[in-house]
Parts: sequence; structure tokens; C-alpha cells
Amino acid sequence: MNNHPVQNSMKEGKWVTSTCKMCLHSCNTLVHVTREGIVNKVEGNPSSVSNKGRLCPKGNCALLRLYDPQRIKSPLKRTNPKKGPKEDPGWVPISWEEAFDIVGRELKKTLQEDPRKLLPAINDFQKLFLWAWPAAFGMNANYFTVVGTYCGGGYHPMNGMVHSTFAAANDVDYCNYWMNVGSGDGFSSHLHVASAANYMANARVERGMRVVVVEPRLSIGGAKAEEWIPIRPATDRQFALGLCHVLVKEKLYDVEFLKKDTNAVYLVGPNGYFLRRKEDNKCMVWDPVDQKAKAWDDESIKDYALEGNYRVDGVTARPAFQIFKDTLNDCTPEKMSEITTVPTETIERIAREFATAAQIGSTIRIDGRSMPFRPAAFNYYRGAQGHKNGSLTNHCFKLVNMLVGNIDTPGGHIGCTLDDQWVDKGHVAPGDDGMLKPMPHQLHPEIPFAYPPNTTHLQDYFPLGVDPGHLNNITLTNPERFGFNFYPDTMLICHSNPLWNMPGDQAKWFEIMRKMRFIVAIDIVLNESTVWADVVLPADDTLESWNMTMIEPTNTEGMCLRQPVIPRLYDSKSEEEIFNEISERIGILDVWNQIQNFVCGFPQKPELMLEPGKKYNDRDIAERKGLLWNDKPIEWYQEQGHAVTKRRSDKWYRPWEGMRLHFYIEYILQRRDELKENMEKADVPFRHEWSWGDYQALPDARLDPVHQEPREYDMYAITFKDIQINFTENLSIPWISDIVYKDPVHMGILINPKAAAARGIQNGDVIRLTSPYGKITGLAKVTEGIHPETVGVSNALTRWVDYHMVIKPGGGNFNRLLPADLRNTDACSGQMETVARVKVTKVRSRPANADEFIKSQFYAD
Amino acid sequence: MPRWGMVFDLKRCIGCNACTIACKQENTTPDRVLWTKTVSEEIGTYPNVTRAYIPLICNHCEDAPCERVCPTKATYTREDGIVMVDENKCIGCGACATACPYKNRYKLHQEQFDRGLYRSGQLTPFEKQGYGRFVAGTTVKCTFCHERVDAGLEPACVITCPTEARIFGDLDNPSSKARRIIQARKGYQPLAQHNTKPKVFYVE
Repeated sequence: MNNHPVQNSMKEGKWVTSTCKMCLHSCNTLVHVTREGIVNKVEGNPSSVSNKGRLCPKGNCALLRLYDPQRIKSPLKRTNPKKGPKEDPGWVPISWEEAFDIVGRELKKTLQEDPRKLLPAINDFQKLFLWAWPAAFGMNANYFTVVGTYCGGGYHPMNGMVHSTFAAANDVDYCNYWMNVGSGDGFSSHLHVASAANYMANARVERGMRVVVVEPRLSIGGAKAEEWIPIRPATDRQFALGLCHVLVKEKLYDVEFLKKDTNAVYLVGPNGYFLRRKEDNKCMVWDPVDQKAKAWDDESIKDYALEGNYRVDGVTARPAFQIFKDTLNDCTPEKMSEITTVPTETIERIAREFATAAQIGSTIRIDGRSMPFRPAAFNYYRGAQGHKNGSLTNHCFKLVNMLVGNIDTPGGHIGCTLDDQWVDKGHVAPGDDGMLKPMPHQLHPEIPFAYPPNTTHLQDYFPLGVDPGHLNNITLTNPERFGFNFYPDTMLICHSNPLWNMPGDQAKWFEIMRKMRFIVAIDIVLNESTVWADVVLPADDTLESWNMTMIEPTNTEGMCLRQPVIPRLYDSKSEEEIFNEISERIGILDVWNQIQNFVCGFPQKPELMLEPGKKYNDRDIAERKGLLWNDKPIEWYQEQGHAVTKRRSDKWYRPWEGMRLHFYIEYILQRRDELKENMEKADVPFRHEWSWGDYQALPDARLDPVHQEPREYDMYAITFKDIQINFTENLSIPWISDIVYKDPVHMGILINPKAAAARGIQNGDVIRLTSPYGKITGLAKVTEGIHPETVGVSNALTRWVDYHMVIKPGGGNFNRLLPADLRNTDACSGQMETVARVKVTKVRSRPANADEFIKSQFYAD
Repeated sequence: MPRWGMVFDLKRCIGCNACTIACKQENTTPDRVLWTKTVSEEIGTYPNVTRAYIPLICNHCEDAPCERVCPTKATYTREDGIVMVDENKCIGCGACATACPYKNRYKLHQEQFDRGLYRSGQLTPFEKQGYGRFVAGTTVKCTFCHERVDAGLEPACVITCPTEARIFGDLDNPSSKARRIIQARKGYQPLAQHNTKPKVFYVE
């Protein structure tokens, strides 16, 4: 027997602290490097109270991404001028000098002609400041991708208006009754999944937390839950309204919370706006004891009316709560059952269970502070909210939680910040009339109204929205209709795959790409979009570079350091170096430094601010972000790896104490009317197509247009991810493709046996999904774990590249089934529809070479 | 002397296969060789349906059929109960793989090492540093991460499991977490009818 260890973690070498980037979050890691300098093991860092030494399957693959033979090893130049999905780009390696010469020359030309002619797709979530680079490029605000919108067009602004945060999650430390509606939190996806799965498992097994999952497909969470409630896709809002109906009619709500902590008591006039006192414009409430209207902050208020109709100043006014109560008359469990297919008695039972579990009236003491205790919460995410009426839907979900008084409350539904930047910085601010200041813009400042539009995705007309990148599909193929006075001809793609992630007509996307004079891409491996580039610039791998990040943790906080564990394997550079060099060559370096200061929050500690004329590399930025967080030098972070602690309870729980939450979001109406007026004044020709009904201060039960597609499209198609392909998809890594392609839910298009039988489809048959907008082909995977009206398409089936050695190309991308139009876009939030109506037909029985056949269908007409 | 065993908590397991990949990282097993994995099984009919996630691993049986049938005594049981294969004695006859009721043994083929994980013939530095432990033509299986265990550490699959569904410990120690969970939650062994006395238990 030899004495040298054979197990990788036991070999001689060193452990280096780092931060995972296999999804967009930031689990803390330890990386083992052998004496010979080979990375041979990545583990979770046990000192982290977030992932506690544990990693998800993707995190366990980090070293294969580093050593991926498919990595881009030097800058590349295209030699084949023809561009298309089937064209070989004819890459030739070039020097960085030559690459920067070309990119600098081409981008300078664009900048000088019209900076709006650049289409950026910059999607590195751990270096969010890079998203702001286009702002340095002549205030370019285009967005050629749907990252952020696909999952959360309606979600992020609503979190911003309700919690002043980017995301939200249930309080896993205290929750006893957890509803997951169209969400993988705690099981398969979303925020810090390795950490969330750990906290969730402990809560379930050790505390007996009950989990109820509502979704069309039996996900991991559905399989682990006490109860899986299948639901017709895109009816989650109606389910939630059914719950609200029961909670309100049976008086199962938190009266004290609604009266003291929300604006549900503010009187609303006939025009939908709050009734304001003439002399000082203050919002008013009704005092039922004194039987009169008073200003919201009148010290003589003895009680607040939640219900009733009152005559005030010559008009009839109702408390906001009464308006919602009136709306709920149309939302009986019976009616909502017809829409959702969830049985009436199930809606009623879940509402009662939820209210009972919420323990309305109870309190808890945490860190010396006594607070309400509401250990029941309604959690949701992309699947539930990703619909045309995204704003209404998100708002409705918040109201389920508000009714039981659990917002930001121990055990309840809590806002999660994207990046606090500084440990002592709070994320809330007071707004008007005692209310919390709404902060819908969590990713970048608001884009001001303009006509002709300045942005190709019409962000000029979404004062509350997240960039609806999918609209590029219609604007760039019909620019006259939208009145553009420029047309883009340049594209910059950085860690993004817009052709893959955007919905809409594929031929139109290809047409748009073909029109580009120049495309530059920055990434680590090529993808469906970057193969259209003229020049490709290789970025460092995570294990070769510096970064400091803290991205949407839930119940933890603190900066996490990434540092090089080995020298660069190839001729790559950090994103910071690449953008600095380009900026310098086109003359915008000083502006770029100013913008980085702003986005990273360096002015909060002025000594950290970047100076004009200097280029700051990845280590410099990481060092400053660490100093901003807790004044610790980068050497401290190199040793510790991170500054992660449990989230400080004063920031986590009820940080808005003393302010009122937006039960009724009048702000939405204000922004609607302001936009209307702007559009009228500027005579915007497409203003009549704007669905003004999407702007509501309270949600209602209207149906999303996806339900009104022609009847021949008799099934719903949904797409989903799981923990192995959470956020970024890593099928190019063999360990991931190994486990994914062995998992039945990723082996084909999921269809219920009844639906399959009705169409003569057997397990393994080749089937086609045809929507009004496109079609895809795949193998049928017959499963009991899906709603009979629904087919489920794993994200793992949607790639079409064939140059990645271990990816199985699918017979088309799910996104081709989706519309990219105004009718199916939330005019309020920019949220796109993520469910398609399809007809499902059998193409043939399973051929011997099934993978090849499916792949051939991608190009077939 | 401890007697090492493992408990799988089926209530916790979410079938993510972080364990599968952590094992591959730790042991540099070649393409298609999975010393541990989780599989899933659909149970019931719509809408009364659920899915079970079941981790699988070498059970390190007390009465190991693989050891009994090995003609060269390549398969042996350490004092602490870990069942091992001595690659210098293994002749690759495959008798052990046939005898194992759990099908948890893999025979290595030279082609797996030549093709590499990316199935391209391009071996990564990671593979190059790790494949030296293996001999093509021999049979391999989970070692409970014996070197980690000897160093007082837990197996790689255990430390990475996001839901703590894998509990490793001394089955003879009444206060070990593994033993306590088996007692408290009535742990059972896989395919107990084969009477191989697995040192792996499942709890629900």
C-alpha cells in the first residue's frame, strides 16, 4: 500500500477561502489546492452561518468549470462574416492588444454616432456594478436580455414597494406553516439554495414546520411537502384571492396590524386616490368613536375604521380595507375554484389553517425587543407571479400575508435586500403621510419618460417596471411603429445568453442579431448568443479572480470574498480590467469610475471613492467593498473568507416600525396618471395600446390574456428549473449533465397520463408543442406529478448548441412558445407572460436515435 | 474500535445529488462511476401523488457477499467495518459485482480514463492528479472516504449534504447521532431479506 493519500481533500496542499459563483448567490467555500497547484476539491466553509459548510450540486462542480476544456482560452476574432445559428464563426485567436483595438474602435464609433445604438446584455449577478457600465456609455439605458424580468418583473418592484427590498422570503427561523406557491424556495431554487435547503430541512424535521405547496407540477418542494395542491397555471392570483375572501369574510385577519401598521385605514375617494384634507393635504382616516374623519396623524384618534362608507367633504369615501372587501365579493372560493381547479373546500381549509397557524395576537421577544409573532407565511416566486398581470398578482400575494399581519414579522414573510453595502445602513425610508417610501427601482434608477423613446425595450414607459427586454423582439423589427429616431447596430454581451433567455419569435431574434454591425462578448464559455460575436473576450474563472459580494441572502448578511486560488490558466482577464480598458480607449474612464462609486455606494465612506484617471482592478473593487461593509482590510477577508452573520434583527424584523405599509398602493395610480399625461402630451402613437388596467391600487380577479388564447390551444405549457440547474444552467459540466439527464423530470416533456392517453401519446413518443407563437419538439415523459391540463418543459431541454461536449441539444427552446408583445406584458411592471397555451400532438414513436432526432427538429419547419 | 455506518434521513433528502458530485470531486472517480447517488420514485396517482428521493451507497455489509465470493481476497473488511477493495489483489473477475444485491460496484475500463469526464480525450488537470489511484480492469466502490475517516473527518457526501440527510457515525456507540436516530426513528436496512447486515440504515 502506498502512503500517499488518494482522496483529494487529504492530499498535501492548502485550503483557500472563496465564494461560490455557480449560481448568482454567494455560498462561502473552501478550495483545496495541491502542492502541485491543482484545484482538487471545493467544499462549503463551515464557518459560514449561511451555507454551514454545505454546497448544492452546482457548487460541487466549480472546479470542473475552471478546468472546462471548452473555456475560451484567448481573445477570439470571427473570420466568417456570415452570422447565424448554423454558421461556424471561424474563430481565430488574437492578442488582447488587437482585441482591444477592434473593440475600442468599434464602440467609439457607436458612442460618437449615438450611444443609444448599443444593445447591452450584461448579467453578472455577483458584479452587479457592471450592469451600470452602459450608463457611462453616454447614459445608454438599453437592455437586451430578460434577466431580472423573466423571474421577477412584477416581483421586484412589488417587494420594493411593500418591503423596500429586492426579494422576500418566509422567516425560516420561526415559521411553522410555510406555503410555497410557484416557488422553489427552501428546496430547489431561488435565494441561496444550499443554505435555504438546510434551514428548511431543519425547520421541517426538527420543528415540525408544515409545508404546503401549490403548483401545476410536483416539484421537489411539492414532493417533500405535507400537501401538494395542483393548480391550473397562471391562476395563482385567483387562488390567493380565494384565500383572502375566506380570511376577510370569516374575520381571520390581524385587525391591530392593519390599523396601526398599514394604510388599510386610509380613506379612499371615488377617484381611487386617498381622500386628502383640504387645508394641509393630509390623508384621512375615519374615527368610529368620534364618528368623524381625521387626519391620519391626529392625536385625538380613538380608533380607526377598517370598514364602512362615509360621507366626507361632500364625497363618499371608504377605508382601503373596505374597497378590498368589496372586491372580494367576486372572489368566492367557489368562483376561484372554477378558475384554479383547486377544490372549494381546499381553498377554505388552507385559509383557515393559515390563519390559525399565524397565531394572530401573539408576541415574541427577540434581542430584547417584543414584536408580533406570526409563524405562517405565503411564499411565492417566478412560477406564480410571472404573468401578464404581474403587479396585481404580486400585490395579491402580499395581501394574503398582510391580512394575517406577518410582513417583516417573526415567523412571517420578510423582505430581503439585494446588497446592503454597509452593515449599519438600513434599507427603509419614510415616505408621505406616515407611509413607507415606495422603492420600486431596486436595480437601477428610474428611466425618465421620453418620446421618441430612448430605449429599445421601451423602459421609458415603465415608471414602476423592471426592464422588459423581450419587447426588443417587436420594437427592433418594427421601429417605425414605435417612433425610434435611432437604430442600434452594436451589441455587448457579458455573462449573458439573451437569444436563449428571451421569449418571442425566434426568426425575429435572429434577424435582429444579423443586423448588428459589431458584437463583442465577454464570457468564460461560448453560448447560443456569443457565437454571433465578432470579438470574444475571455473572462477569468471564479477561482482565478477577485470579487466581493453579498447577494440577496435571506436571514444572514455580510460580504463574501472571492480570491484567486491559482494563477490564470489561460490568457483571460477580469471583467473589471476588460471594462476599464474599453472605457479608457473610448474616453469614458472617468465617468465609469464615477458610476462605480455611485453603484457600489463608496460615497458613504468618501475615502473609498475611485479617483478620475485611474483604473481599478478586481482586487481594488473587492477591497473597497469589504472596507465599506465592516472596515476590515482585504487580508482579513482572505483569512476569514467572509463576514457572514445572522441578519441583524433590527434590520430583518420590522425595520419600518412606526411607518405604515402599503396595503393600498395609491403610488401606482399616481405613476399611471403621470405616464398617461406624458404620453398624451407627447402624442405617443401606441399609448392606446397601453393596458392602463394593469395599474391598480388593489388587485382583482381579472384573467390573464393567456387564458383567452384560441380554444385549439387546449393545454398550458410551463417551464421549470431544479436545484441542479438553479439560475445559471451548467449542463456543459459533465457532472451536472450526468445527474440531470438521469433524473426523470428532465428526461422529456412532462405530461399527465390522462392527457397523454387522450392524444394517443405514450411514454417516450416524440411530441410537438405548438403555441400561437412557436413550437418545440421533445420526448414525452408521462408522469402523475403534473396537472392534467399542463405540460412541463425542464429548462434542461432548452439548449440548442452542439459544440458543448456533454449537452444534449433539445428540439427547440421553451421561450419560443411565449409571446413577446404588449398584450401579454404587464404595462405596470414590464413582467412578461411565462406560461404558454399549446396544442400537444404526437409526431412519431420514439426513434432509435432519439437525441439526434430531437436535435434535428430545432431547425425543422 | 468504532463500527462505522451511515443513516439516510428520507424526510430530509431532496434528491439534489450534491452527494453524488461531492463524491466524484473527492475521489476523482471516472465518467459514469457513481459511488453514491440519489434516485427518485413517483408514488401514487394524480392528484394523490408524491415522489420519494432515495440515496444509495455501498452498504458496507457485516456479512458482505462481495467479500465472501472474492477469489483473491481483494475485498476485505477493515476492523472498523469499512469494506474495501485492494486494487493490487483485484483481478477484475466481477464475482463481487454479481454477488452484490445492491449493485453498488463498478468495474473500471481503460476507455473511461482515456475519454475523460468531457468525453473528448482531453483530461483536465483535476483528472490527471486523481486517476493514479485506480487500476483499469479492477472493481471499485465507496470506501466511506476511509482516509477522511482515519483523519477524524466525515465522508465528503455527508459534509456537503445541504439538508443533512446523511448521518455518519459509530453504530456501536449508543450516544452517536447515527445510533440515536436509528433508535428514535426506527431505522431499517435496505433489502434486509438478503441478510447481509448492511451498516446503512434508512429513516422516514
